[in-house]
Amino acid sequence: MFLQTLITGLSIGGIYALMAVGYSLVFSVLNFSNFAHGAVIMLGAYVGLALATKLSLGFGLVLAGSIAGAGIIAVLNERLAYSSLRRRKAPSLYLMISAMGCAVFLENLVYATIGSRFYAFPEFFGRQVVTLGGSSISLLDVGAFLFALAAILGLHLFINRTRTGIAIRAGVSDMTMCSLMGVDLDRLIAIVFLLAGGFAGVAGVFLGVKYLVYPTMGWVTNKAYIAAVIGGLGSLPGALVGGLLLGIVETFVSTYVSSVLRDVFSFSMLIAFLIWRPNGLLGRDSEEKV
Amino acid sequence: MRKIIAVLGVLLLLALAGSAFAADVIKIGHTVSLTGGASMWGQSEARALDMLAKKINAAGGVLGKQIEFVRYDNRNDAVEAVNVARRLVSDGVIAVIGPAQSGNSIASAPVLEKAKIPMVVTTATNPYVTIDQKTDKVRPFAFRPCFIDPFQGTVAARFAITDLGAKKGAILYDVGSDYGQWLARYFEEAFVAKGGTIVAKEAFRSEELDYRAQLGKMKDLAPDVIFIPTSQKEAAMAAKQARDLGIKAILLGTDNWGSPDLIELGGSAIDGGYFVNLADLADPDIQGFVAEYKALYGEDPVLPNPVMAQDALIMIVEALKKAGTTDGTKLADALANLKNIKVTSGVLTIDPENHNPLDKPAVIQQVDVANKTFKFVKKFVSVE
Repeated sequence: MFLQTLITGLSIGGIYALMAVGYSLVFSVLNFSNFAHGAVIMLGAYVGLALATKLSLGFGLVLAGSIAGAGIIAVLNERLAYSSLRRRKAPSLYLMISAMGCAVFLENLVYATIGSRFYAFPEFFGRQVVTLGGSSISLLDVGAFLFALAAILGLHLFINRTRTGIAIRAGVSDMTMCSLMGVDLDRLIAIVFLLAGGFAGVAGVFLGVKYLVYPTMGWVTNKAYIAAVIGGLGSLPGALVGGLLLGIVETFVSTYVSSVLRDVFSFSMLIAFLIWRPNGLLGRDSEEKV
Repeated sequence: MRKIIAVLGVLLLLALAGSAFAADVIKIGHTVSLTGGASMWGQSEARALDMLAKKINAAGGVLGKQIEFVRYDNRNDAVEAVNVARRLVSDGVIAVIGPAQSGNSIASAPVLEKAKIPMVVTTATNPYVTIDQKTDKVRPFAFRPCFIDPFQGTVAARFAITDLGAKKGAILYDVGSDYGQWLARYFEEAFVAKGGTIVAKEAFRSEELDYRAQLGKMKDLAPDVIFIPTSQKEAAMAAKQARDLGIKAILLGTDNWGSPDLIELGGSAIDGGYFVNLADLADPDIQGFVAEYKALYGEDPVLPNPVMAQDALIMIVEALKKAGTTDGTKLADALANLKNIKVTSGVLTIDPENHNPLDKPAVIQQVDVANKTFKFVKKFVSVE
């Protein structure tokens, strides 16, 4: 039972990490918690679903389409809802409130246009199960986990090795200075949102394939937000570590303590971290959280 | 001063105009989940009611007046359901249809009872919707057209033991829903009484997506059957996750499974599962309704709510005819004494003792993924 719990925890944690990356990316540059990220994940799942059911595309194309779609939605979201606040140098609290508004708006937009019913992705790979020492996991979960790790590693390399990545890091440490040095801030922020949106697309497809697609599915990102805080908001390795840690802790609490107390533990962890270690495990120093 | 008099005068005129207008219609409240997790049934329920009201109004309405719905979204949330009930009271409705869920119904009942407005819930199957848990007395203004959970839970346990030959049972339920919590209890009691053992009883919280921790615990205990008293969404996810963990137990569910998209959502994982239901899409009694709904909206109704909501509206209409007035107390009295009225799901008689329908049968259906249908397995009229 221990091994099974660990495997399940890692698999859940991988998805949390994938979602937490989107929070951390935006937080690192704009210093606010983008609560509309969950809604972008949900829209990414719908984009993928439309490609899979209406156009009968294969898994690879569905994933690519969803990454592109969610990326564009995230950029539009920034342009329409955040950019004017940002230019007026509004406090990050205003941006966060705007983000919450966007989340509710997008969710209700889906209710009004697509409707409230649940959808499932077609079964791309059948139900193949790998057994390991008496513990089972579906092949899909293994694939999703590895893909999440690879994507986060790829992003890490992109930010550390490329010119654009260096510009993003410069923006992280000092936005004003960065723009004085000739970096186009609007373009830079658009790239950050495109990346965050791309990750939302991946997370949306994985969530949709593993669970279901419906308008409120984005609320599961509450957990990803906790993962991002635990790892340190704004830190990519932190998002990965926080996600995996939260997934494992939750699964162990459910199995060995009580499944009903699981969220009590998760949210207690969030509060404890905010009080005693607001920068998380791997976060950089900053004055404002939440 | 003159201004104040003028304003008051305008208000008085408006009030008079309002009441003159209101005299031509009978306002019936509808508290329903148009958004939130249960909105799929809620929206289908609203459509079925609009469809029926249009027909009744075209035929002259009730007591010479047209039926008009005052509909608010309760978002499948008990707090919001109470707010909606209060708004309906202040809007002056003469009766209320809904809510569909037991928790929301139990929360709304005292508000409507205080205002003496009869409430006919649609699919709330918990016994304490019509019986006050504190006093154990019938709630004078609460009624329903559907069977109740002790019956449903017992039917499920009977079926598991006698028809499926199960000895070890496990339960996975939503701790945040009155429906799931009570059904888990009724199933456990009946299963144990019949000689079975419950090896695991695991809960999850509403809106949670992953049950692998709970199912992983069950796996080692090897139950013959897993009882999952949830809606089709959770059932589909639980089925997929159970199969991913290599669990081979038979899955057994309740009336909330009975939605056409269960098959699409659960895929091969849900194949062969059994569940108790209020109504069957293939039920000959409701073919006329299903065809009419499909012709109007281009899709199958999401059962059982639309059928039960129509039953509720017919109950109110029949009671209005019998009482000859919209007075709440007289209307409730007429509702309690309805006998052999023709409703969408068949024929209905209300038991004046507990405001539940008499002899409402339960059907057992089996999920058949290959043919995309629910196969009729067995009908239970009583568990005696």
